[in-house]
Amino acid sequence: MDEPALIKAAQRGGLDSFNTLVLAYQDILFNTALRIMGDEDSAADATQEAFLSAFRAIKSFRGGSFKAWLLRTVTNACYDELRRQKRRPTAPLEPETDDGEEMETPRWMADPAMSPEEEAEADDLEHAIQHCLDELPLEFRTVVVLTDIQGMDYKEAARTVRTPLGTIKSRLARARLRLRECLQGFWELLPAAFRLEEEGIRT
Amino acid sequence: MTQTPSFRDVEKLSAYLDGQLKPSEVARLEARLKTDPELASVLQDLRETRGILRQLPQRRAPRNFTLTPKMVGQKPPLPRTYPVLRFATVLATLLLFFTFATNFMAPRLVRTAAPYPYGIGGGGGGGGDPEAALEAAPAEPAAPALEAPAGKEPTAPEMPAPAPTKMVPPAEDSARLEPTPGPFEKSGVQVTPTVETLTLQTVPDEAEQAKRLVRPISAMVQIMLAGIAILSGLIALLLRTFAIRQWRTKAK
Repeated sequence: MDEPALIKAAQRGGLDSFNTLVLAYQDILFNTALRIMGDEDSAADATQEAFLSAFRAIKSFRGGSFKAWLLRTVTNACYDELRRQKRRPTAPLEPETDDGEEMETPRWMADPAMSPEEEAEADDLEHAIQHCLDELPLEFRTVVVLTDIQGMDYKEAARTVRTPLGTIKSRLARARLRLRECLQGFWELLPAAFRLEEEGIRT
Repeated sequence: MTQTPSFRDVEKLSAYLDGQLKPSEVARLEARLKTDPELASVLQDLRETRGILRQLPQRRAPRNFTLTPKMVGQKPPLPRTYPVLRFATVLATLLLFFTFATNFMAPRLVRTAAPYPYGIGGGGGGGGDPEAALEAAPAEPAAPALEAPAGKEPTAPEMPAPAPTKMVPPAEDSARLEPTPGPFEKSGVQVTPTVETLTLQTVPDEAEQAKRLVRPISAMVQIMLAGIAILSGLIALLLRTFAIRQWRTKAK
């Protein structure tokens, strides 16, 4: 894929060229949105909105990392979507038990109609991590997603969220500390292979 | 010496993990890590947390997020003749409606503008009282009548030259209303039309005049306008359909 050529063609209005770029980056953008938003439907909406905004604004792209530029677009789309959801909340974030008390474990994320096996599968590492990510303030979550999940370096992350490098360092350290605290509560839920791996690191 | 790591220490440890510290800072931190087990423990916690996050599976996008021309508001390039044809269709249609309206309204307008000088037919609510009907009649038509020489039949201003009067009162109505005093009597002009004279003056031109007044715009013009509207509309539609189809094929 000749990315610069495709970008130039897209800047001239070539939708086919832009769609080639969409196919190349849609997984990355969707995963970023998924980790920031916490649910697939909202993530898909934000991703679609991000690509739409990117096409409209592609003439303003002046070189550099196209991936970082797209990630900034999807981050903005997520912020917009979250703001919109906050204005018009549709469902409570935490479900309640029959007694009206809020559920605290990640087991609430499992479908009650699931079989025990499926339930065990649903209570896996991914759900535990997502739950902990959701607990983070939005700006911390975004930095963690960009650096630890998308593998960006600090400078790229700083450019993406338009924040000074020092703030990125600070937010990342705080976010990792909070995540550590949160994940300690779900240690038993981690897959056996991962636990062994982590135990190996410890020794 | 062991002491509880400060947030600044945690920040440095986090950056150290990601290789974001300067070499001098790295050397200093590594020296401290060797002597401070608590600091080493925090580093281990951060490393594990980062490791867990990196274990997150990358999901595939649930669908393709490619954009369609409709989503981005792109429109197919239409031929230059398209707007001209569309304009012609709209204009011809409007003119056609105008001709219908004109043909429909013309006789009514003429009737409203030209009053019956003798109160023939009673004119709506005034039929029962001839005096009241006369008073309600507009003053303008009476003026030329007053200027007319005595004994001459007064004519309405809208009337075409060959016909002295526009409206022909039916014989029986005229007969019934004959004794009714006309407006000219009031103003001192002696006008006493009889049934005979009214009938003689108006009947020969009536058919031709009515025909002219009812249809001021001929049917030929209307047919022509309808033809232009339909034809240009059809051509414009065909051009548009063809252009969209061609554009979609090209986009695929």
